[in-house]
Amino acid sequence: MNRQEAIRVIMTTIGAQDVVVSTTGLISREIFEKFDSERNIYVPGSMGLASSIGLGLAMTQPMMRVVVIDGDASLLMNLGSLVTVGNKEPTNLLHIVLDNGAYASCSEERSMSDTARLDALAGEVGYQYVRTADSQDDLKRAIMEFGRGPGFILAKIELGGRRDFRRPLELAAIKNRFMLFLARQTQGD
Amino acid sequence: MNQSDKSVFNTLAGDRSEKADLLHGVFRELGVNFASGVPCGVLRHIIRNFENDAAVIHVLANRESEAVGLAAGAYLGGKIPVIYMQNSGLFSASNDIASLLIPYRMPIFFVVSYRGCEGEDAVQHLTTGRATERLLESFSIPFEVFGNQNLGDLTRSLFETMRKAELPVFLLLKRGWHQ
Repeated sequence: MNRQEAIRVIMTTIGAQDVVVSTTGLISREIFEKFDSERNIYVPGSMGLASSIGLGLAMTQPMMRVVVIDGDASLLMNLGSLVTVGNKEPTNLLHIVLDNGAYASCSEERSMSDTARLDALAGEVGYQYVRTADSQDDLKRAIMEFGRGPGFILAKIELGGRRDFRRPLELAAIKNRFMLFLARQTQGD
Repeated sequence: MNQSDKSVFNTLAGDRSEKADLLHGVFRELGVNFASGVPCGVLRHIIRNFENDAAVIHVLANRESEAVGLAAGAYLGGKIPVIYMQNSGLFSASNDIASLLIPYRMPIFFVVSYRGCEGEDAVQHLTTGRATERLLESFSIPFEVFGNQNLGDLTRSLFETMRKAELPVFLLLKRGWHQ
């Protein structure tokens, strides 16, 4: 499974009303180019904060399901967030980590995820649903079987893939349409 | 700074602060219903008030950057958040303010304790103390240092600036501010 396949599986398997917070670099850029939607929040800077933003959203919008699409290196950059999620136990948060063992958006420098056992760590700190996925079928099943969170899916992906995606630039407009989307959802419109 | 305020760093005083209670009341009047941050002794009364108020979702963060992310998520979720931290932590979180809150135009109110000022007895605060106001100026974000002003008026006015500018704003509180 490569990044393109993993992102396609995630974005076509999660519910239509789920909100998405995606991490810095190629993950956000690929989602922005192929699956841009008013339900998406991209984290182009502040690397590592996707899971924190997702937790803040999940705690304040308990009726919405929040899907965080993280990377291995960005999770490692804000590893304390894993503990905070486990402590706050948001049942509506699904944290998916695309693990290619590298800072793929930079120059593919190796991260330390290969010795970290991030899935075991998530379980130890309080995530209620933990899965690993090595194939598109595994990933799809892990997303479909997710019920009560916080959930953690470690999706192993191959390094490499397209790099020439455009960037999300109009961030204030992305924020405004996201907040309007949430307002419509919560009004049952 | 008087001696009783200095001693608080070596003891766990359980005193109340009228100024902190006033500030909390103003926060609630302005709709604040989410708080996140990293503790600092100078802010202890403010943190306790957040913790004891069932109308405020309060999430302690492991690092200041994490508090920025949590508050950004809460803001997107429709809450009115406050972030608190020491100015040392402001430097840790500075890129998150610059690359998340500012380009997304998220109006978030920061309460930051201002160490490294005159009378500082801890050398680790001196460099960040000298640089704090210049950091905020260089980001072109509004801030106020609380001194002899009316704290309620100052906070309301800074909130208004925040909402108009759609930017984070900063209230800096020096040691002894709460007396």
